[in-house]
Amino acid sequence: MLKMNNLCKSFRTELVETHALRNFTFSVEEGDFVSVTGPSGSGKTTFLNIAGLLENHTSGSYLLDGIDVQTLSDKQRSNLRNEKIGFIFQSFNLIPDLDLFDNVDVPLRYRGLSRSERHQRIKESLERVGLANRMKHLPSQLSGGQQQRVAIARALAGKPRFLLADEPTGNLDSQMAKSVMSLLQEINQQGTTIVMVTHDPELAMQTSRNVFVRDGQISEAETILPLAAASNQ
Amino acid sequence: MSNLELGPIMRALLRNKVGAMLIALQIAVTMTIIVNAVFIIVERKSMMERESGLDEANTFYLTTTGFGNDFESKRVTREDLDLIRSTPGVVDAIQVNAIPMSGSGWSMGLTTTPGDEVESVGTANYMVDDHALNTYDAALVAGENFSFSDIRFRERNQSDWPDVAIITQALAKSLFPELSVDEVVGKTVYIGDNEPMIVKGIIDKLQAPWVGWNNLDHVTLTPEWMAFPSMRYLIRTEPGMRDTLMTSLEQTLANQYPNRIIRNVETITSTRDASYRQHSAMIKILTVTMVLLTLITALGIIGLASFNVNRRRKQIGTRRALGASKSAIIRYFMVENLIISLFGIVLGVGLTIGLNFMLIEWFAVKALDWYYIPAGVVLLFNVGQLAAFGPAFRAAKISPALATRTI
Amino acid sequence: MFIYYMKLAIKSIRRNIWLSSLMVLAVALGIGACMTTITVNYMMSANPIPHKSDQLFYVQLDNWGPHFPFNDENEPPDQVTWRDANNLMQHDRFKQVAMGTSGGVIESDNREIKPFMAGIRLTYTTFFNLFEPPFLYGGPWQPTADKNSEQVVVLSKKTNQQVFGGENSVGRTLTIAGNRFRVVGVLDDYEPIPRFYDVTTGAFQSPEDVFMPLTLKLPLELGSSGNNSCWKDPDGDGFEGFLMSECINYQFWVQLDNAAEQEQYMSFLNAYVEEQKALGRFPRPLNNRISSVMEWMEIQEVVADDAQIMMWLAALFLLVCLLNTVGLLLSKYATRTADIALRRAIGAPKQAIFSQYITESALIGIIGGVLGLVLALAGIEAVKSMYGDFVSEHVAIDLTMVTVAIALAVISSVLAGCYPAYKACSVPPATQLRNQ
Repeated sequence: MLKMNNLCKSFRTELVETHALRNFTFSVEEGDFVSVTGPSGSGKTTFLNIAGLLENHTSGSYLLDGIDVQTLSDKQRSNLRNEKIGFIFQSFNLIPDLDLFDNVDVPLRYRGLSRSERHQRIKESLERVGLANRMKHLPSQLSGGQQQRVAIARALAGKPRFLLADEPTGNLDSQMAKSVMSLLQEINQQGTTIVMVTHDPELAMQTSRNVFVRDGQISEAETILPLAAASNQ
Repeated sequence: MSNLELGPIMRALLRNKVGAMLIALQIAVTMTIIVNAVFIIVERKSMMERESGLDEANTFYLTTTGFGNDFESKRVTREDLDLIRSTPGVVDAIQVNAIPMSGSGWSMGLTTTPGDEVESVGTANYMVDDHALNTYDAALVAGENFSFSDIRFRERNQSDWPDVAIITQALAKSLFPELSVDEVVGKTVYIGDNEPMIVKGIIDKLQAPWVGWNNLDHVTLTPEWMAFPSMRYLIRTEPGMRDTLMTSLEQTLANQYPNRIIRNVETITSTRDASYRQHSAMIKILTVTMVLLTLITALGIIGLASFNVNRRRKQIGTRRALGASKSAIIRYFMVENLIISLFGIVLGVGLTIGLNFMLIEWFAVKALDWYYIPAGVVLLFNVGQLAAFGPAFRAAKISPALATRTI
Repeated sequence: MFIYYMKLAIKSIRRNIWLSSLMVLAVALGIGACMTTITVNYMMSANPIPHKSDQLFYVQLDNWGPHFPFNDENEPPDQVTWRDANNLMQHDRFKQVAMGTSGGVIESDNREIKPFMAGIRLTYTTFFNLFEPPFLYGGPWQPTADKNSEQVVVLSKKTNQQVFGGENSVGRTLTIAGNRFRVVGVLDDYEPIPRFYDVTTGAFQSPEDVFMPLTLKLPLELGSSGNNSCWKDPDGDGFEGFLMSECINYQFWVQLDNAAEQEQYMSFLNAYVEEQKALGRFPRPLNNRISSVMEWMEIQEVVADDAQIMMWLAALFLLVCLLNTVGLLLSKYATRTADIALRRAIGAPKQAIFSQYITESALIGIIGGVLGLVLALAGIEAVKSMYGDFVSEHVAIDLTMVTVAIALAVISSVLAGCYPAYKACSVPPATQLRNQ
């Protein structure tokens, strides 16, 4: 599904060159639910940006679904993001001027789906997160947990094969965090590959695999997390 | 169509009405001013382009005022005309009471039947001799020129008119709408209600002295010299000779008799400029206004659009992350501007027509030709799109990675 | 506190220099355009004789033909005939003045001074009492000079300069239109704007070079200039025949100090016309009119249409500039929500935030106003160079205009700043302290 080999990412300012990722080699198989943990500044977000095609890497290779993304144009990368990847952000990133319906609609518009298809998908995905009855509400009228569920609905509506979650529960209280987490697990069960960046080890334990990033490098010592399996039973 | 995101953009705009409304209003008022201003400009331009009929570039005139009780105006007139006409470089010259476009002259009413019950047709009166047509560069379209024997002297306080006249084609049409020019020749017209004159000839074109007059093309020529102490000579020269002759003739005529003043030596070109100065000034002022206004509006659109882009940086990053290509972002802002412009322009069409009505009501402005409206619409749409493009382009440069950044 | 707001405003303007400049420029352009056009209109619509413009009345009598009015809507003629001017002047219990124009060559006794063409105002000595032009030397001629058609003259300052080198020329003589005249007075600078006493040939002309009794016209056969309109041909022949015709070429004024006098004068006019009707003149229904100075200026449309159109367009221009400013202020203040929320959180009342932001708007208004004034000065110079006539030479920005400009700028930018400042002070405190 996702294959990074010897991936490097460096930022150059006038004074220094910072290496955010160094010889980063990592892969995710179809159906995985991988958590990426690490202290702040370790390169988690950079990894996420590159994995989500939000940024280019400096060297090495990254194959997404067998496609070498380095050579793609902006347009192709945009399409790839749109079709294959669903995003869930820490601060939800809902568009404040748009109601829930229009928010979920955003990625579908870029795919150029027909009106009826879009309507159906929006309804389905909002139903799935339990917010179908609030379609005409603005994000500001919802609680944080509800907003994150809308964001998940937005990610799901595009039927992505691959879901990238960036601290999805970071802005939520524990109760809400729990419900969001179980929603993600459910989605994973239905076949969507998920990579979740988090600093919360407890969340990480609920995934099928955990990688630890430090100083831009991976240390995949502790991969197996039995808790996830336990909670899935 | 779904790619244009019309629905979501509309709904988002409705939730941020004020900013959009301000731009729309600005566009509306700008359109109102520009369309009306352009209309006034075009009207004035076409007014200024009306032909006087003269060989304008090669014609000048001067006033001679004799003083002292022994000034013999008849003798001086004859000798002056002989002298001027025989000067090398002069095509022809006449003594005349008034100059086309100069702003002062003599006008009378003409009727086709005697009596004061019929409304008369206004005409400018030029008192000239048989050299007039050549001096005016006027072509005879019917009838014939004055003969030398037609010409009389008009004394200072004489108020009657000669028996024959030459009129312009436009005047002939106004007097006898249903007759052809050839049929008008030989007809009798009545000047000042009941004094008959026979139309001897009809010329193609000549303008009255007053550029703002409705009857600018109505001119009557009567065959007479004026035995007045103050009189004008209109002089047509060979191409390129005008300026030299202006100075030399002024000198020659002044030296001819000590008891006279030569003054107001003017070219037709400068007379035209002076008479239309108000209009050319209006054109310049309105043009500058329009340019500044368009600039201000464009800058306003750029300012607000830039602000909107900055305010929505995160949102734009998110859209990019969700699969919007750069061109989709540009398109978003362009469509947004298009929708705002549309509202502004619809309002602008109304205001434009409204202002035009007010100008018609209060001032001597004509009704707008319909095609100015679509032209204004196209112009304002383009200004909006051009102004929006910069900010939209900058919006497209926002990195999708912004989506994952907190704050 | 105000000083503090001022400091904050200056800081804020400097922080966002590009946006602030754009706002200042917009205000300045709007103000500049408005002030230029307002100044032109202000000058054109000026009251040329403020202390007695309500007492001076222009007289119109309808001597026009039976079938058509002088002008549409049954307007009476804008001038009177020689005959009526003279008849009315016989009644010297009223402070009346009749006048007309002529032209002639002035010859100095000094042969070295070249003869020149001069504009002549033919009038009565009452002209000087009614319109009060200032005298440099001497004074008006005696009423007997009018009665006896004496060859006396009042010179303009410029003419006196030309003929007598600016000396006190009272008592000296010169030749005008071939006749000898004795100087009785010399005017000081006299330039009423508009030249209200006779606007028939344009309201913005200089007064004539010499003033002399109108009663000289007939004996000296002085020619007529100005607008001469007739509804029928003269009955008689020669100079006198033309004078006694129904042709109008003379202006007529009367000074009436109160409503009673106005009424009295109107009935006098009506009685006069009835008397003339009995003689077979005045075929139209009674249609006499008196108009005060400013009414007459209004009727004669002294303020050019173009000037008014430009003023209205300039007002719309200012509106666009203000809409622009509102939009930009709104944008600018919207970027300051964090700052506002912080201030609110640490105890600033709404009103304080409002004051802070309205101060900033006003400051932009003042800078824009001053710059606008400079632009207006440039605009007026441009107008002068484009029109290059009497009107433009007298257009100038005075203290009133400066005050108007600054006031207009501040008021309009404060108005423009109200909504954005209101929006700014509506930011709730503290919520913005968290991220985003």
